[in-house]
Amino acid sequence: MLAIEAKNLRRTYTSRTGFLRPRRTETEAVRGITFEVACGELFGLLGPNGAGKTTTIKMLNTLLLPTSGTARVLGHDVASDPVAVRRRIGYVFGGDRGLYDRLSALDNLRYFAELYGVEPRDQKRRIGELLDLVGLAGREKERVEGYSRGMRQRLHIARGLLHRPDVLFLDEPSIGVDPVAARDLRRTVADLRAGGTTVLLTTHYMAEADELCDRIAVIAGGTIRALGTPDRLKSRVQERGILEIEAYGAGEEHLERIRGVSGVHGAAAEERGSRQAVIVQTERGADLHGQVLAALDGVRVGRVVTREPTLEDAYIAIVEEADALAPTDVPGPTDAPASTDASGSTEVAA
Amino acid sequence: MPTRTPHTDSGSAPGPYRRTVSALRLVVVGGALSYRALFNWTTPPMFIGTLLVGPLLQLLFFVFLGRQLHVADDRFYLLGNAVVSASTACVYGGTMAVANERRYGTLGAVLLSPRNRAPLWFGRAIPYVLNGLVISVFTLSAACLLLGLRIPVEALPGLGAVLLAAAAGCSAFGLALGALGLRFRDVFLVSNVASSVLLLLTGANVPRETLPAWMRALGDVLPLTHAADAARQLSAGGGLDGRGIVAELLTGAGYALLAVVLLALFERGSRRRATLDVM
Ligand SMILES: Nc1ncnc2c1ncn2[C@@H]1O[C@H](COP(=O)(O)OP(=O)(O)OP(=O)(O)O)[C@@H](O)[C@H]1O
Ligand SMILES: [Mg+2]
Repeated sequence: MLAIEAKNLRRTYTSRTGFLRPRRTETEAVRGITFEVACGELFGLLGPNGAGKTTTIKMLNTLLLPTSGTARVLGHDVASDPVAVRRRIGYVFGGDRGLYDRLSALDNLRYFAELYGVEPRDQKRRIGELLDLVGLAGREKERVEGYSRGMRQRLHIARGLLHRPDVLFLDEPSIGVDPVAARDLRRTVADLRAGGTTVLLTTHYMAEADELCDRIAVIAGGTIRALGTPDRLKSRVQERGILEIEAYGAGEEHLERIRGVSGVHGAAAEERGSRQAVIVQTERGADLHGQVLAALDGVRVGRVVTREPTLEDAYIAIVEEADALAPTDVPGPTDAPASTDASGSTEVAA
Repeated sequence: MPTRTPHTDSGSAPGPYRRTVSALRLVVVGGALSYRALFNWTTPPMFIGTLLVGPLLQLLFFVFLGRQLHVADDRFYLLGNAVVSASTACVYGGTMAVANERRYGTLGAVLLSPRNRAPLWFGRAIPYVLNGLVISVFTLSAACLLLGLRIPVEALPGLGAVLLAAAAGCSAFGLALGALGLRFRDVFLVSNVASSVLLLLTGANVPRETLPAWMRALGDVLPLTHAADAARQLSAGGGLDGRGIVAELLTGAGYALLAVVLLALFERGSRRRATLDVM
C-alpha cells in the first residue's frame, strides 16, 4: 500500500474583499498535482513562496477539501474518510502561532495528547520523552507566551509526534530554530524514517532536503516542475559548472549583463552579510571567468571559485525555467515536466 | 507497511468501558485545560472584577432603580439578577471556548483530532456551567446579606438546582454562539448583543407581562427565563415548580443540540472555504 497518493489535486481559494462593493478573487493555489509516496519514504516538497506547498499538505492532512482530484493516505480517502486519515497522521507547521500561549508547554502537550488519543497511561512518559527530544525539558512548566520563536517551533514538533503517527507532514519544521537544534531535528527526522515513519517535508533549506529526502518534488505556480531523487535533480544541471564570485554591490543590471554572455545559463545574487555571492551557471568546461568578470565591471569582487552544482543550483535552475516558461500564465499539469521522474519513483522506495 | 505495526487503529478496538472512560477524560481533563487556555478572565483581578463585582453592582443598580420606580419589589430584581449574573461567564465563555482558537491559530491543530466532537466541545462548556453557578451563588448571597432579604432554608436545595439548570442552559447557548466563531470573524459582537437580549427578554429586570407579545415569545425560548421565574417562586416560599426547571433544561438541551449541529456544519464548511487561518 502507498502511504500517500495524490491524483490531479487542485485547490482554488475564493476570497472576498470590500464590504459595500464586494469583489471575489480566485486564487488557483494548486493546479493539478499527481504524486505518490511509498510507505517509509521521506519525500520532500520544495518550491518558492506561494507555490502551493502548504495548500497541498493541508489537502492531504484533511484540513482542506480539494477543489477537484483525489488523495489517499494509507488507503483512506482524505475527503470522504477524514477521521481514519487523522488517526494515522501527524502535522507540524512552521511559525509562532498555533499554540496556547496561556498554557505551559506541558499543558499544551497534555491537551493535545487527549485530542490525539494518546493512551492516558502512556501520556506522562511520552510527553517526557518528547520534551527531552526537542530540548525543552526543564522549561516545560513555563507559559508558552514567554517562549522564543525556536522554542515554540520545538514544541510544535513535539506535538506532532505525540501519537507516534505513521505518516508525518512537516511543513517548514526547522524555521526559526538554531543550527544545533536544526541538526538535532534532522537527526530526529532521519531516525523516524529509519523507524518506518513516512515523512512529507517542505523546507526552504536545500542542504536539509538534500541530506534527508529520498525523493523531491519541486513545485512552482501550483504544478510539479520536477520530481526525482536529489541526485537525479542535480543531474539536470550536471552538464553545467558553477562559478561563484564574491562581490560587493552587484545589481540587477550586472546580472542581466552576465546572462547575456554566451555559455551562461543563469545568474543570481545572494546576500551573505555585507558581501554578495554571485552564482553563475555556465556550460560545463567553458572557461568564462574573464567574460563574467568583465560583465561585473565597476563592482568590487573578491574570491572566485568554480564548483560542482548542488541541489540548490538545480532547484534554482528548475524554478527559473518555470518562470521563463510562463511568467504570467502558468501551464497546466499536462505540460509540466513532472514526467521526468516516473522511473525515479520506484528505484528509491524504501 | 514494511517494518512496524501501526500503534493506532490496531486490530482490537477498545471496548465500551475504555471508550467511555476516555470520552470522560476528554470532557473533564480536556475541558479544564481548555478553560485555562481560552478563557480571558481567569486571572484573579479579571475574575473578581468582571465576574463577581460587576454582576453584583448591576443587581444593586436594578434594585435601587426598581425601588425608585415602584415597578417591582427587591425580591424580583434580586433573584432575577442572581440568575442572569451567570450569563457573563456562560455566554462569553462559550464564545471564547471556540472563537479564541482563532486568536491563537490553534483551530487546525484541534480539528486534526480524530476524536468525537461532542465530548470535545461539551467538555469545553462544562467549566462555564460551574463558573456560572459560582457567580450566581455569590451574587445571591452577597445581595441577600447587603439588602437583608431572607430566603427560607428549605428552598435552598431547589434554588441550587434551578441555578445549575440556568448556568447549564446558558453555557449551551454560549457554545452555540461560539460555533459561529468557526465561520465568522467577529462573533464577540454577537455575544455582546446576546447578553443585552438576555437582560431584556428573560424577565430578569423587566417584568415579562409588560413586554409585547413577540418579545415574550422570544423570551420563552431563551435560557434563564424559566429559571428566573422558578427561582422567584422558590424564594418566596412557593415551593419548587417542576415545570419551570424542566422547561429550562429543555431550552438548554435545544441549544446544546443546535451547538453540535452548527459546530459540525461549520467544521465541514471550513474545509471547503479555508476559513480556519483567517483572523
Ligand atoms: N486561506 C487562503 N485564502 C486565500 N488564498 C490563500 C489562502 N491560503 C493560501 N492562499 C494562496 O494560495 C497560494 C499558495 O499558498 P501556499 O500557502 O500553499 O504556499 P506555500 O508553497 O506554502 O508558500 P510558502 O513557502 O511561503 O509557505 C498563495 O498564492 C496564497 O496567497
Ligand atoms: Mg507554506
